[in-house]
Amino acid sequence: MKNRSTPGWWLVAKRELADLWMGGRALTLLILFSILLGITSFLLASNSELRLLPPQEMAFMIVQITITVGLFIGVLLSADTISGERERATLEGLLLVPTKRSHIVAGKFIAAASPWPAALLIAAIHLFILSPNSIIFGQSLLWGGLLGTVLVLSFTGFGMLVSLWAKSNRTSLFVGLLVALLFLLPTQFPGTAQTGFMGRLVKQMNPIESVNQFLEKVLVNNRTPEEMAYYLWSLVVFALLVVGFMLYAAPRLDFTGDKARPKLWRPASRTVMGIVIALLLTVAQTAVSHAQTSSTDPANGLEVVISTDYVEAKTGDTFDFTTTVHYNGEGESPEMVVAMNLVNLGDGDPVDPEDWSPERTQAIEPLQPGETAVLDWTINAILEGDYLAYMTVIPAPESSQESSMPLSSPGLHLTVEQFTSLNPGGIAPVAFGMPVVLALIMALQLWLRRRELALSMA
Amino acid sequence: MTRYNEVVSENGSGAFLDSSANVLVAENLRKSYDSHVALVDLSFSLQAGRILGFLGPNGAGKTTAIRILITILEPTSGHFSIGGVGSENPEEIRRKIGVLPESLGFPKQMTGVEYLTYFAQHYGKTAVQAKATALALLEEVGLQKRGKSLIGSYSRGMRQRLGIARALVNDPVVVFLDEPTLGLDPAGQRELQSLIVRIARERGAAVVLCSHLLNEVEEVCDDVVILREGQVVASGTVSEVIGKAERNLVRVRIPSRLLTEAQVMLANVPGVIQVTPSKRRMGWLEVELIDLADTGEGESYDVYTSRVLQSLLQANIPLLNFEVEGGRLQDVFLQLTEEN
Repeated sequence: MKNRSTPGWWLVAKRELADLWMGGRALTLLILFSILLGITSFLLASNSELRLLPPQEMAFMIVQITITVGLFIGVLLSADTISGERERATLEGLLLVPTKRSHIVAGKFIAAASPWPAALLIAAIHLFILSPNSIIFGQSLLWGGLLGTVLVLSFTGFGMLVSLWAKSNRTSLFVGLLVALLFLLPTQFPGTAQTGFMGRLVKQMNPIESVNQFLEKVLVNNRTPEEMAYYLWSLVVFALLVVGFMLYAAPRLDFTGDKARPKLWRPASRTVMGIVIALLLTVAQTAVSHAQTSSTDPANGLEVVISTDYVEAKTGDTFDFTTTVHYNGEGESPEMVVAMNLVNLGDGDPVDPEDWSPERTQAIEPLQPGETAVLDWTINAILEGDYLAYMTVIPAPESSQESSMPLSSPGLHLTVEQFTSLNPGGIAPVAFGMPVVLALIMALQLWLRRRELALSMA
Repeated sequence: MTRYNEVVSENGSGAFLDSSANVLVAENLRKSYDSHVALVDLSFSLQAGRILGFLGPNGAGKTTAIRILITILEPTSGHFSIGGVGSENPEEIRRKIGVLPESLGFPKQMTGVEYLTYFAQHYGKTAVQAKATALALLEEVGLQKRGKSLIGSYSRGMRQRLGIARALVNDPVVVFLDEPTLGLDPAGQRELQSLIVRIARERGAAVVLCSHLLNEVEEVCDDVVILREGQVVASGTVSEVIGKAERNLVRVRIPSRLLTEAQVMLANVPGVIQVTPSKRRMGWLEVELIDLADTGEGESYDVYTSRVLQSLLQANIPLLNFEVEGGRLQDVFLQLTEEN
């Protein structure tokens, strides 16, 4: 038996949590999320098993989808919290209790953010099954969980701010989701639009994209978090802005939303906004220039031999071979780059070697006359068909005004036959079972509630 | 503060004349939105155990005034206190008031008990105390049998009663009820009116009742404040306010066969100027009395009205119906709010 009164924020949170979870809204969203993640995981696992996708990239994509869906769920639920109550005429009743306005907002925020840990747990189960080792699983969960939590909570707070300010639920949902979509839009720009100064600037200023970039570099490209930390500035600034506005607006929660709206046209507010925008641009520009210094220069080259000329494989198989570059010239050779090329013999189209091999190119240090360099290559047979692989040795030009003559190896003829799996990576039970389990939990919960009501009526 | 004592009990009981017994005191409340002034220097007071009718046509400033008093809106200027707590302390005021807003939404997936328990906990009650309060209030408003049903299954009348129960969870000093009987059938209206009276008489709470049903206000309220364009145009006890609008015309309904006899007889009663059959209603005589505004003697029409009635009774003429022009709250309301 409880003898102490419950704090107002927890009362509101409990009520909202019950409404969200017992009412079925949170579970419905999680079921949809688990279906989406299940299908994605299944496809990713199929591709991974076919060696189309490295395991790190698969883990990154699961984390990316989880964060994206998590922040949309956060915005969707938080955008309804205050303006929804305004529209349903239940806000006035809540504003009449002596609980502090900021406590009411805090309680609602806790509830709106509550699906995120559940979404993260679902993603963790997928990651656990699909990660080939504990390092990939641990890193994905650590960085995905940490940055995802900051990003999702920031967007949940943003949705709540819109809800605090908006008079109607429709407005807050529209604005909240539109802004979240606008943040996602740059990730859909064509590749060329994402490069260049403006492309990088937009990426740096966009918290969603900068988190994606950070996670990709750290989880997929084996870069260190310290090295990539500059990507997180926009996330930090966004989170601080949301916290700042929340601290301003929450105690001003009112019947119309007018009081909670900051007076941005006031000179002091204008100055603060100016400083924040200038800071954001400076940080982004610094980060962009940081990113540009990491590009590299190519070099020069000679004679090349390939270890095998014909391979038969099934989709998903991996095989290794070597190329030998021999230098017979005078003096030291220039630096060289050896690039793998793959052509579909069926229609003559070139195939993206990045999908077929973890290494598209390898560099060779300058060779002395008579010296030989042996390079190991791995090819993942991805798609059924008839292919020819060949290596091109590219010597570095002697100066910026000169060119060099690349040299191609003999071809490696590759024939790939189809292979299928019904349970790639062992993910099928989780991918298809998770939505069913969640749906059963929801049905059980509804049944228990009805039973409780029926018993109390009796 | 003397003007607040305009609102006194009909019987002039000394207890209500003491301004220290006021549980609600509003002083010069003003609210403006840019150039539009919604409320102009609203001042009134209310004592414990009394019911105040808060009236006015649409747009008169009633809702603004109520929202200020329940701390949802801040006044542009002015001050009010409830139960001795000043308007500068809205959280404390919220502990002392109970409110049934005009369009209160209810969570359909909660039961009545859960709903009231939740709100009672907001006032510092433990879960056990809050549930006990909820059950007691459900009984008080006559919903004990439906307390464990989902609110979604309640009728409008039941929801209004639940709303009133919610307004009482903190045992408030002042209860604000905004159109509590709106949309209810006559039986539902009657039930709710007796509940409102019980809140004032048995709980000793002061009740502010906003209603467009003037008959209801006349029947239930002790005091009344009438607003027009943000300003108070009448305030006082219901009978005082009605009395201010009385005119020198009385209508009596007599059996048709005795109309001529009654007309002749009444024409000779002192104070009666002329008696004419009503052109609009068959069987009615319109009795015009002398205009007291002209005499300047401060007399009441009650004396002359009584003489008319006594004369009819003494002449053994049956009186089937009787009404005084301007003798209903509705007449006063229309007179005060429809003037240009």
